[in-house]
Amino acid sequence: MRWLVRKAWTLVAVYFAYMLEYRGEIFFWMLSGITPFFFMSAWTAAANQGLTGYDANDYARYFFAVFVARQLGIVWAHWNMSEDVRSGRFSFRLLQPLDPVWHYLADHVGERGVRLPMLAVVGLVFAWLYPEALVWPGAERAALGLVAVGLAFGVNFFASYVVGLLALWLEDATSIYNLWYVAMLFFSGMLAPLALYPDPVRQVLAWTPFPHLVYLPAAIWSGLEADATRGLLTLLAWNLFFFTLGRLLWHLGRRHYSAMGA
Amino acid sequence: MAEALGPAVRAHNLRKVYRVAEKEPGFADTLRHFVRRRYREVEAVRGVSFVIEPGEIVGFLGANGAGKTTTLKMLTGLIYPSGGELEVLGHVPYRREAAFLRQITLVMGNKQQLIWDLPVLDSLRINAAVYEIDPAEARRRTRAFAELLEIEDILTQPVRKLSLGQRMKAELMASLFHLPRLLFLDEPTLGLDVNAQAAVRRFLRDYRERYGATILLTSHYMADIEALAERVLVIHRGALLYDGGLGGLVERFAPFKEVRLELAAPAEPAELAGFGEVAEASGRRVRLLVTKEGLTRTVAELLSRFEVRDLSVTEPPLEDVIARVFSEGRV
Repeated sequence: MRWLVRKAWTLVAVYFAYMLEYRGEIFFWMLSGITPFFFMSAWTAAANQGLTGYDANDYARYFFAVFVARQLGIVWAHWNMSEDVRSGRFSFRLLQPLDPVWHYLADHVGERGVRLPMLAVVGLVFAWLYPEALVWPGAERAALGLVAVGLAFGVNFFASYVVGLLALWLEDATSIYNLWYVAMLFFSGMLAPLALYPDPVRQVLAWTPFPHLVYLPAAIWSGLEADATRGLLTLLAWNLFFFTLGRLLWHLGRRHYSAMGA
Repeated sequence: MAEALGPAVRAHNLRKVYRVAEKEPGFADTLRHFVRRRYREVEAVRGVSFVIEPGEIVGFLGANGAGKTTTLKMLTGLIYPSGGELEVLGHVPYRREAAFLRQITLVMGNKQQLIWDLPVLDSLRINAAVYEIDPAEARRRTRAFAELLEIEDILTQPVRKLSLGQRMKAELMASLFHLPRLLFLDEPTLGLDVNAQAAVRRFLRDYRERYGATILLTSHYMADIEALAERVLVIHRGALLYDGGLGGLVERFAPFKEVRLELAAPAEPAELAGFGEVAEASGRRVRLLVTKEGLTRTVAELLSRFEVRDLSVTEPPLEDVIARVFSEGRV
């Protein structure tokens, strides 16, 4: 247990230092994720004309929560894997008595350490621009939203890792992950609150991971309609699914790996 | 370091077959390749068998594409063999058991494990944690290795700022930080200048003496092999051609001696051709490869035919012998 903690702490600390070297890049990456604010403008304009069921502050609050949930859920394990396989670095990972997935996970956690302070600055700017929109949801909802974000990160990470494992067959699997992103864009609540979607669509989507990745935490934080229990259980189930699929592909892919370029 | 009970490496009839997609150039073939891929099986390693005992330093020689690196990948567990039996330190490598991985290392001269944008010490911190090395012991090893490799002053610099030689030394340090018993070294001196090559060889010799490690080394620099290896394995087109001492390799594959002459007057290569294979004839300096059986007679004839200022007879350079083995592919 002592060594487990030491390994985890060392990996996160070193990858945090690594990510600090790329703080500028992370800042611009974060800025590239401001899509929710464009949709916020469109929906608040519609709300001001009385065209929707929510008011302008509801939309501002919701899309800010979407932005935060999305920023905390961003993953790139598929890119890590593909790059490692292509460059031959994956062979070094295999030589260590540690599953390579821990390196990728630590890379993500370390990056969050750099991203969070920047996110706080964006939050302050938002609070200055939309003071009426920011309402403290209460400790319970805030915590519940964080749990949802944590589980959503898990689903995103394991799905990304599963796609990355395909690099053991294909050498580069980064493009495949774009499919996941497209599905997330349309079905996760990034374009509009899912409460506005037709009922049959919502019922089908509820079984997929997508609405729970962004809409669930954003709705919990911003006070919109959300079935938190069902959402969290669904996220948990998808975590288990992608984790298991990842282990299976790991064992199959290892047989296929040719250590190209190493 | 614990004593090994059996051989460090035991490979029997080891095989590796790769399936390679083939595609002709051109638009039509690109479309054909997209619709229906054609594959070819390439037998990279063909029934290789050898045993390496604990403490041995073995040179692994072969031309590019001969199967050296593929064999090393199987020995380290990076890839699965297609056939044969393989046991390394009592383990089946591809199972990647922690007890096995803690005892081996692989150094690849053309690849790096160090984190490019961080100081060397950060990569060592990760290795110390992963291999469960106590912090005090990690500090002691850092000092000891840095002193041996003469890189004390670069450990806090980002890896990207280091010279190739410094980086290779740091790579060695990271690869050996957990004190492995079995070292697989794939071109460890690749691209280094003569001084850095010598320093790396010195370090490897010291490490082996201090820890009794077993080393399997591939290198295109014969100086590495001559300085470190007592025994060599020669692989050609996936098959093992030779397994034995360096001297035996010369004996077996070079049944000739090198005769160096300095003549009083320049001679035409055509005049020398009858005495042996003319390896070099530039003005008054001549290098001939002469069969061992005819050596005495040939030297006597050379002395009577030409006015010779200087003459020496030596074994041919190992590079020439190896080049001859690879070009002829002789068994």
